[in-house]
Amino acid sequence: MKRRAMFFRMITASLLRRRSRMLIALLSIAIGATILAGLVTVYVDVPRQMAAQFRSYGANMILMPAGSGVLSEADAEAAQTVIPGEELVGATPYRYVYLNMVRRQQTFAAAGTEFDQVQKTSPYFKVVGRYPSEPRQVLVGKSVADTIGVKENSVMELTWFPPSVDAAESPASGAAEIAPGMVLSGQAAGFGMQEGMNNKPVYVVVTIGDDGTIASLTVDTSGESEGFGTQCSESFFTDRFIGKPARDLELGKDVDAVSGATITSAAVVEAVNSAAPVDDTAAVLTPRTVNYTVVGILETGGEEEDYIYMSLDDMASITGQAGQVDFVELSVSASQDSLERYAQEISDSGRATARLVKRVIRSEATVLGKLQALVFLVTAVVLVLTMVSVSTTMMAVVAERRREIGLRKALGASDNAIRVEFLGEGLFLGALGGLLGAGLGFVFAQVVSVNVFGSDIRFSMLLLPVTVIVSMMVAALSCLLPVRRAVAIDPALVLKGE
Amino acid sequence: MLFRMIKGALLRQWSKMLLIALTIALGASLATSMINVMLDVGDKVNEELKAYGANIVVKPKASSLLSDIYDVEDEGAELQQAWLREDELGKLKTIFWAFNIRDFAPFLTVGATVDGQPVQVVGTWFNQHLSLPTGEELDAGVRNLRSWWDVPDGDWIDQQTEGADHEIMVGTALAEAMGVTKGDSLTLTGRAGSVTATVKGIIDSGDAADEQIWAPLDLAQKLADLDGKVASIEVSAITTPDNDLARRAAQNPSALSRADYDTWYCTAYVSAVCYQITEVITDSVASAVRQVAESEGEILNKTQLLMILITALSLVGAALGISNLVTASVMERSREIGLLKAIGAHDKAITGTVMAEILITALAGMVIGYFAGLGFAQFIGHQVFGSAINIKPVVIPVVAALIAVVTIAGSLPAISTILRLDPAEVLHGSKA
Repeated sequence: MKRRAMFFRMITASLLRRRSRMLIALLSIAIGATILAGLVTVYVDVPRQMAAQFRSYGANMILMPAGSGVLSEADAEAAQTVIPGEELVGATPYRYVYLNMVRRQQTFAAAGTEFDQVQKTSPYFKVVGRYPSEPRQVLVGKSVADTIGVKENSVMELTWFPPSVDAAESPASGAAEIAPGMVLSGQAAGFGMQEGMNNKPVYVVVTIGDDGTIASLTVDTSGESEGFGTQCSESFFTDRFIGKPARDLELGKDVDAVSGATITSAAVVEAVNSAAPVDDTAAVLTPRTVNYTVVGILETGGEEEDYIYMSLDDMASITGQAGQVDFVELSVSASQDSLERYAQEISDSGRATARLVKRVIRSEATVLGKLQALVFLVTAVVLVLTMVSVSTTMMAVVAERRREIGLRKALGASDNAIRVEFLGEGLFLGALGGLLGAGLGFVFAQVVSVNVFGSDIRFSMLLLPVTVIVSMMVAALSCLLPVRRAVAIDPALVLKGE
Repeated sequence: MLFRMIKGALLRQWSKMLLIALTIALGASLATSMINVMLDVGDKVNEELKAYGANIVVKPKASSLLSDIYDVEDEGAELQQAWLREDELGKLKTIFWAFNIRDFAPFLTVGATVDGQPVQVVGTWFNQHLSLPTGEELDAGVRNLRSWWDVPDGDWIDQQTEGADHEIMVGTALAEAMGVTKGDSLTLTGRAGSVTATVKGIIDSGDAADEQIWAPLDLAQKLADLDGKVASIEVSAITTPDNDLARRAAQNPSALSRADYDTWYCTAYVSAVCYQITEVITDSVASAVRQVAESEGEILNKTQLLMILITALSLVGAALGISNLVTASVMERSREIGLLKAIGAHDKAITGTVMAEILITALAGMVIGYFAGLGFAQFIGHQVFGSAINIKPVVIPVVAALIAVVTIAGSLPAISTILRLDPAEVLHGSKA
């Protein structure tokens, strides 16, 4: 009991009396511990943080329809659940259709998408202006914009032509029996098909009433000459068809032509006569024309510049087909192995086929591997150099006390007692310095993370005991070495200072 | 007398001085290696990022506008009106930033049929050997630009061997659909002629190339009668991440002030390299591929910042470590300093002697540490990047200044503290 009390008194007294020297030793250990805790935390967390940065290269997985056809939004969403939420950076659906700019006789590829997701999966998109946020706003690729000369706030009129309205060519055309409640669609060559016009027929959609006659008629005359043929889509003309049979109509007898638009009127009659039933009455296939406001020009330097982008809702309202996408771009923050596993799982589920974007994944693996190796080596070199430097300082501090050791030995202290005392002092300093350093190291790691990656760092709690134990070991070892030398020498010589 | 004392101290107390020298050498080597690695890490990572492929694409100026004016519907490459000239490609290596241009390849996509089936044929360079007027020799082509491609069956086309003109590579999806394997002969019929070629390899690319046929440029040109013409050029260049100036310049270089223009033109910004490319390639528009260029900048900036912060921590650690040890060693000699003072030495003389001893030791440590640091830097460079770190001479004065400041800061206050004390107390050992 007494011995132990004395031991503690000696250690505390030595620490207190020799304040400045102990402070130096403590500081040196704390520096070492700070570097250890700080660099190792950064090293452990860097791959995760850097991987997040690499997501700026965009999507690394593509969901495509399983088999042929289109992918339903529900299937796409169900397929994504394979990927853990925190790893999924963004999921952007795309639906492509061709839209026509009738006045300029040009067809453009348009993509329906979700703009808030686009900004996550394709952070490299540069938009001059802004992303669409309201209905009927579009983002136009730079090369499209250059071609047709649209700018921010320009209004562009786009028409969607149903791909399947080929009534004139379809064998069933005109032959089908007319039944009450049926919906028919058809087309015929109007003025728009003449030389120099835009090569676009007149489209009609007819609904048959309960009595077997025409109940309503919708006409698309967007290809006809403005102010003349276009009158045929107005109700004063279409009303003339109501109550008439949908077959064998004759212009001038059953229906009067619009003056100045005889060709178009004749085309409407012909289209009605040849109209074929539409199976799916919900998706009435009729061309639609919508005015869009350009709110931004998209610059990417890639083929994305050839498209017009609009929201999926706008796309659904112009095509009349909702809930379908062509593919979904996923940006997933995960290793190549996990990505391959997710892709396999999704493909196995049968909801969608998942493909990996090799270019992005392969290159990321290469570069990320190098970066990780860099941080590892730097950490290793810095740690080794720092630890050696810490122990030289400790050794210098202890070596200075040779005289004290000699004196104590001369007074009859055993070698072991001296060693134990110095060891205790070293361990105490190591623990204190280690704790201090671990705290400072975490602060450093957090500063790095916030400044470099703009996010909080993940601490590994295991690192705290490791730092403290390593500090104690380094401190104890570097104490023992000079003490052993001092103890081995004759006290008289040590006291004399030789 | 001073020299004798210093010499004496250095010789007699060699083990203590050795400890100081060792610590300073460690600090100096840490500073040297970290600063060198930090300064070079941008270039090294930039080189690695080339794995993502081209960051600049060059197209003919009038391609999109012409089809508009003449009401030509876009029906594939054959109807494209404007072309770039194949013979001008070498000029890419004559621009101001020629050294930064790592690789490039021309592309020409033409339509063809194989047994009546329509296919897309992409003509390009695989590893075209170029001898430039500057005397430089290089191999350019898609072999490096498409680093992520695999050739699971067969091999890449080697344009430097005989008969490469009649070799093609087929994308996996297309090969499967057509039932083609390595070594098969295919007859490609284009608008202007047909060519019989051997399948040299199958491409697994994970992109559109899986459904295309890739052929040497000459072959594609023959199919469509487009001798010496290419539709686009991809360029992989080492560039500096964009800043404000680069963004302003990208919009309109002529709106810059003279000084700004010079700074911009003489910095390897992607917009400056693009601008210089349009200067040498007739009627061309060069634009940055933002997916690559922008992300590259992001990652470079982050890596550099990360290395700067790690270097800063190491430097602070090294500085504190050194000044700590120096303070400790001065305090250890308090008895000696007290004695010198007691026998009548001037404060100045004592300070001078002790400082001279420490500084001489520091100098020796620093020289050793500098070279050791170069070793560490090269070790890191070779282990991580497989190439030497570029040694910058500017590191020498930086490290020297650092060591000088921390050595003096560590020793001077300690010496003056001891000198201020009563020699008797110091000798007795009751203070300090």
